[in-house]
Amino acid sequence: MPDPVLQVEDLSISFTTGETTFDVVRDLSVTLDGGRTLAVVGESGSGKTITGRAIMRLLPRGAGARGRIVVAGRDMLAADERELRRARGADVAMVFQDSMSALSPYLDIGAHIAQAVRLHDPSVSRRAARARGVEMLERVGIPEPADAVRRFPHEFSGGMRQRAVIAMALVNRPALLIADEPTTALDVTVQAQILALLRELQQEYGMAMLLISHDFGVVASAADDVLVLYAGREAEYGSLRDVFEAPAHPYTAGLRAATPRLDARLDTGGERTRLRAIPGAPTSLRDAGPGCAFAPRCGLAGQVGERCVVEVPLRSRRTSGTTGGAHRAACHLDRLPSSGEIAR
Amino acid sequence: MTAYIARRMVTAVFMLLAIAFVTIALFFGASKDPARAMCGKPCPAETKAKVSAYMQTDQSVVWQYGQFVKGLVAGRTYGEGAQQVECAAPCFGYSFPNRSDVTSLIGERLPVTLSLALGAAVLCLVVGIGLGALSAIRKGGMVDRFSTGFAMFGLSVPTFLVGLLVVQVFGFMLNVLPFSGFVPFSESPVDWAWHLIGPWMVLSFILAASYVRVTRTQLLNELSAEHLVAMTARGASPRQVNRHAVRGVMVPISAMFALDVTALLGGSVIAEKVFSLHGLGDLLLSGVNESDLSIVVGVTLFSAFLIIVGNLVVDLLMPLLDPRIRRA
Repeated sequence: MPDPVLQVEDLSISFTTGETTFDVVRDLSVTLDGGRTLAVVGESGSGKTITGRAIMRLLPRGAGARGRIVVAGRDMLAADERELRRARGADVAMVFQDSMSALSPYLDIGAHIAQAVRLHDPSVSRRAARARGVEMLERVGIPEPADAVRRFPHEFSGGMRQRAVIAMALVNRPALLIADEPTTALDVTVQAQILALLRELQQEYGMAMLLISHDFGVVASAADDVLVLYAGREAEYGSLRDVFEAPAHPYTAGLRAATPRLDARLDTGGERTRLRAIPGAPTSLRDAGPGCAFAPRCGLAGQVGERCVVEVPLRSRRTSGTTGGAHRAACHLDRLPSSGEIAR
Repeated sequence: MTAYIARRMVTAVFMLLAIAFVTIALFFGASKDPARAMCGKPCPAETKAKVSAYMQTDQSVVWQYGQFVKGLVAGRTYGEGAQQVECAAPCFGYSFPNRSDVTSLIGERLPVTLSLALGAAVLCLVVGIGLGALSAIRKGGMVDRFSTGFAMFGLSVPTFLVGLLVVQVFGFMLNVLPFSGFVPFSESPVDWAWHLIGPWMVLSFILAASYVRVTRTQLLNELSAEHLVAMTARGASPRQVNRHAVRGVMVPISAMFALDVTALLGGSVIAEKVFSLHGLGDLLLSGVNESDLSIVVGVTLFSAFLIIVGNLVVDLLMPLLDPRIRRA
């Protein structure tokens, strides 16, 4: 078996403001093979985006990462500036949520793609690089690509722009693509197209994809594995089927119950179901108490008692794994009761 | 493009003609009587009427305006016989107190204003962008706090106060700089610069304030811009990324700069007065004081023309710098 494309071990990310340093992400560990998609799910502020950025070492000033991140055999946290530049855009590329702000308003689309090409192979002429851009735009389904390379970001529709951003990210055939909410800013129909395009290109190039999303619908249609983050920590990790069909963490179960489903009536044998919101507001690692960060919002914390408030639950393996892969959750309860009792 | 420029120039001509009319109307509306200033100390009504007729200021505003436009095209003749004065086309008017046509008066004063304006503009760019950039890079640091205060001071303090302070401190107390006079560049470049350092400091201090602020805000915006993160994610080095950030700053700065330079070229009344420089601002002021219609109209038109050209330059320049404007 070949080495995984992405290996993250005990990744913690901290911010320093003035005198104080605090963690925003703690002890994340995942592995991801080529051709597979790992979805990172969580509410705003749960640390999804910063984790994606840490993998490319694109952290803002004042932020630091500890642990180990290996991308395509390169230790990203140990790499120096030159090595990082070589990895970024070639081994690992990123698709941003907001394609408008991710593109320079002063450059046309062709210049963006040509830049991506030439940064990694200066021997390619500007012309040849732009020609690669045309090819790439055609590959991502942009009509009249020869004309489109000369257009500027503001002259594209949102969906076309996201396609262009994907073309730009994939032009150097990265082993790993980090897609940070790639469809959030788009219409639902365009969302489906973009997801389908990403999956198709992933199969074609055999690349691994880290899909950051807060949308369970997107995750369900694209992911192989799922990592659920809560307040910067892993709440649950496992294959899509395990996590969706047998959630082992009350938070995951709560998110599932809060997701609207078109087939809800069938699911419950024809009964009407209401969407159940998770009570309370998300917290952060910084503000969480000594125990489980989810405890204040957890309907099951009462069943466990004191322990939830004073002791951080460790990740533990679950036996519910139906697909053979690892399935783990950070909850003091070994097994969740049936879905009806979970939400408070 | 050429058609666009031509259209703008035609508009500009009409705009200037309108400005000329407004200036003449306002001049007489303020019940200024040019003849009063020219006729001497005991000024009997009879003499005044003669002077008035000679200067052609005894007619209606509309007639004056008609003569002015005619002078532009065909030249103008004042008086007759021995006292006849010719003002060749394009005649922007004749200044009786100076016994010279306005065009050559402006031509005489232009080198002073030009020296003052260009030096101040360059200094203002260097100081403004430099301080602004430094404070954006080290946001919240010493330089940032200093330059924020500097900008606040520059924006709120009137020019004459800064001017007098500079004269007082550098001219009198420290006695290091000359505080008046002008030496032409062709005579001695060193003396030229030496005499202008004071006024340059004053003008650029006032102007640089807004450059500090715009540079700082724009650069802060650019430095946190997602498209620069995206560029880094593509493998660009910090230097390449920074070069890109600069572009976002240059767009608004160049627009501001083009307009400020044209405003400076129109003359700086206060700075010229404080440092006894005889530039266009000083010419305009003397024209107002001596009720000299021709100078007032001439200098006003010249400044207006510069501002129109400045705006045109900005409008032509912006699409080159920012593609978003190009096809809008």
